[in-house]
Amino acid sequence: MKDTFRGGVHPRGHKALSREMPLRAYEPVGELVFPLAQHIGKPAKPIVKKGDAVSVGQCIAEADGFVSANIICSCSGKVKAIEKRRTISGAMQECIVVENDGLFTQPDRYEVREDPSALSNEAIIARVKDAGIIGLGGAGFPTHVKLAPKKPLAIRYLIANGAECEPYLTCNDQLMRASADEIVEGMEIVLRLFPNAEGIVAIETNKPEAIAAMQKAVQGHERIRVLSLRTKYPQGGERSLIKAIAGIDYPITKLPADVGCIVDNVGTLYAIGRAVLYREPLFRHVLTVTGEAIVRPCNYIVRDGTSFAELVEAAGGVKPDTEAKKVLAGGPMMGIAVGSLEVPVTKTTNAITVLAEDAVERADKYMTTCLHCGRCTTVCPSGLMPQMMADAIIAGDFERYEKKLYGLDCVACGSCTYICPAKRPLTQAFKQTKAEIMAKKRAEAAGGKK
Amino acid sequence: MSTFRLSHGPHIRDSWTTSFIMHTVLLALLPTAVVGVIVNGWHALFVILASMVSAVGSEWLFCAITKRKISIFDGSAAVTGMMLALTLSPLVPLYIPIIGSAFAILVVKCCFGGLGKNFVNPALAARCFLMISFSNAMTQFPLAADGVSSATPVASLLAGKTVNITQMFLGTTNGIIGSSVLAMLIGGLILWGLDIIHGEICFSVLGGFTLMMALFGGQGFDPKFLLAHLCGGGVVMGAFFMATDYTTSPVSRLGQFVYGCLIGVLGALFRIFGKNADSFSYSVIIANLFTPLIDMYIIPKPYAYRKAAIKKANGEKRIPLWQRIPKPVIALTLITLLAGVALSGVFTMTEPAIEQRRLEAKRASYQVVCPDAKTFAESDSADQAIAALDGKVYGTGFGKSYINEALIGVDENGSTVGYVIVVTNGNGYEGDIKMSVGLKADGTLHSISFIELKETPTKGSKAAESPFIDQFVNRSVTKLVLNGSGSDGVDAITGATVTSSAVVNGVNAALDFFRNVMQGGK
Repeated sequence: MKDTFRGGVHPRGHKALSREMPLRAYEPVGELVFPLAQHIGKPAKPIVKKGDAVSVGQCIAEADGFVSANIICSCSGKVKAIEKRRTISGAMQECIVVENDGLFTQPDRYEVREDPSALSNEAIIARVKDAGIIGLGGAGFPTHVKLAPKKPLAIRYLIANGAECEPYLTCNDQLMRASADEIVEGMEIVLRLFPNAEGIVAIETNKPEAIAAMQKAVQGHERIRVLSLRTKYPQGGERSLIKAIAGIDYPITKLPADVGCIVDNVGTLYAIGRAVLYREPLFRHVLTVTGEAIVRPCNYIVRDGTSFAELVEAAGGVKPDTEAKKVLAGGPMMGIAVGSLEVPVTKTTNAITVLAEDAVERADKYMTTCLHCGRCTTVCPSGLMPQMMADAIIAGDFERYEKKLYGLDCVACGSCTYICPAKRPLTQAFKQTKAEIMAKKRAEAAGGKK
Repeated sequence: MSTFRLSHGPHIRDSWTTSFIMHTVLLALLPTAVVGVIVNGWHALFVILASMVSAVGSEWLFCAITKRKISIFDGSAAVTGMMLALTLSPLVPLYIPIIGSAFAILVVKCCFGGLGKNFVNPALAARCFLMISFSNAMTQFPLAADGVSSATPVASLLAGKTVNITQMFLGTTNGIIGSSVLAMLIGGLILWGLDIIHGEICFSVLGGFTLMMALFGGQGFDPKFLLAHLCGGGVVMGAFFMATDYTTSPVSRLGQFVYGCLIGVLGALFRIFGKNADSFSYSVIIANLFTPLIDMYIIPKPYAYRKAAIKKANGEKRIPLWQRIPKPVIALTLITLLAGVALSGVFTMTEPAIEQRRLEAKRASYQVVCPDAKTFAESDSADQAIAALDGKVYGTGFGKSYINEALIGVDENGSTVGYVIVVTNGNGYEGDIKMSVGLKADGTLHSISFIELKETPTKGSKAAESPFIDQFVNRSVTKLVLNGSGSDGVDAITGATVTSSAVVNGVNAALDFFRNVMQGGK
């Protein structure tokens, strides 16, 4: 077992801004907005109407189909509207807007721990599904689907992803320090589903306190151990973790479960523990508000639907002498730039990063033609040839892009764009090309059916 | 609330830019340039400056005329100018680097689309262009420390002479401005350490070259021989600075390895079979032309699609190392081996024929200078004297003259009608000059004929033409004097004093040998 994967880059961490700030709960005051599409798969179907009274933990939109997830209300109050609102992606999406009464009434059962030993595997998965849990690492894959692979006995590793390789992000670090035992409880529950699996808590070496806390927590748990991994981006990517731990590379068409691995973010495992032991659905999670332009970078436990503006204000707002050039939902490598702070936090939002300087704007000034230096090929964690892929795109040769260069295997981690000395916008081109090819394939498949 | 800047991720970027890389390369070339200036004097500095200014100026001009973004600040033009200057002789007139750099930038780089689009290394293409256009000025080198030889160390090496490897390594010998191997190595290894150049290329160039030299150089694994070849003729500069040019080298690691080996192998072949001292730049250019082909066929599969990874993902056992060697590597190794065997086979097969031809040519040249003879007999006294010389320089005052053979021309009746003495003078401009000197029965010079004359075309090559060669016909002298006004005078070829002097010295040696050895001092 190696302690890392091949390739990768070493961006500056910037974690010192917020790493020592303990988690604090933030209770929103304004209205809360719940987009119906927060996960991979079909958007959820609303089951409330305008004017309905709702409470904390109430399911307000139901999973539509197997690969979908429930949306849970995080406050008490009244449904104000079901309408299109601006979301993180920049698009107007269907959202449930809830007027917050500020009481946050929630069922008493969240305080009562149940004994999980009587629960069957199906019951555990059902509770996870009811809780609307999705992967909190960023992709938002419904967890109940992940926990029900075709061959549960073939699963060899349950990897708790505490790598947190994105620069600036520290909320999972703080979560592991504060709630190590709860994360381990969550892992034990998941391990019940996979009798042949070994639980591994994977943490990058730049979080020694979290490693120590987790190591203490796993004592007495025979099937779980802590593994420290080299600090390198994208170490926290699912595929990078599987490469580092199981030594397996697998094509994009396969799922981790196909190669005997289940990877869950530590936040997801914490949520699984809460859902199964306390029947508390997922309506709050950890989030870092950080960036050079923020007065007091902090780690929060936030309720879904809270607006970015409120959280930035809670963290002291933007420094008076600085201009907030760019606001990111997430970290600077894979985060999405938002145009306005009037967007809601969703389940997968793990950070709000407010940057005082836009490196992309600066990089554009230094852009030259491709030098063919090959740096992109050495950092690509999948072993792709980004430079050749970019050439194929310029030449319009999508056939070569897909078949010869395996361009669809790009996970859009951004390492190639980060390292490129000519400052070529590689990842952007790959994302767009992949979307185009996939759209074409879908159109062809649809045409074939007719 | 104001809106914020929007863009795709990643939102942070590495600090390295194109211009940083180019300027680092420029810095890495600096030690070599400094040594070049210290050894060769201020003119070398002016050559470097002229070349760089011309390169940057040409790029600026091109951008200005074609209304493009002025790209001179990325530093790539300055690097091209510097590299070209380092491959030039320190004696070149300043118009040479100026024309060369302008050609490199305007024709080779800008006309093909600028940075990252040129198909061969601009500096090397410009060097070839200059070699063809100004062959004379390009091959004028300063005198070496011994004050005699002016050929570059590799030319001497190829002529079968010994060279001072320490001097070659330090760069204090005669040659191009960037001939300091030590300084090149320092710069090159720093670039390698910084991951700016690819080790796959530079070390496979050096490896391929050394291996081929050892296999086919005719001296086996003689470390002195190999080191001398590695230190001369720009091999190190080629390996670290020319071959590693990003644009004209393959992107994949395996491709880079293949490309590097190709350069090394070609460079060695040109040295061994082409006997050309500046052939290394041609091998890099030829390999440059193969780069698109290599990039088209050698595309490494993503990790997940390699055989070993598929087996591992399917839970199968690891496959042994020899099965994991990519097929192209095996194929290329086989092809290289086959080519090597074929080459050496052809060489062995054709060698007797070549030898035969050489003998015939020799005989024909004897006949020219001793036309009355039917056959040629050996002379015991001469053979003994030649054996006693044991390949050493003959006499004093004849430069580096070697007596190779002395024969007596005999007619049908068995009577002596003349003599032929084959002499080699090593002071030629391009190495050895070998000639047969014909004497009449009474010892007067009949005429001379060249067996080997590789002198500069249009200059030294005129030695074989009239009026120069006519001056050696029917001269009744004991010694000729170059540019002498008396009856023993010989006029030198205009612009080729070195060649003329070498020929006269050779003829004088032959005359001296005839009188003192064959005639016993009479």
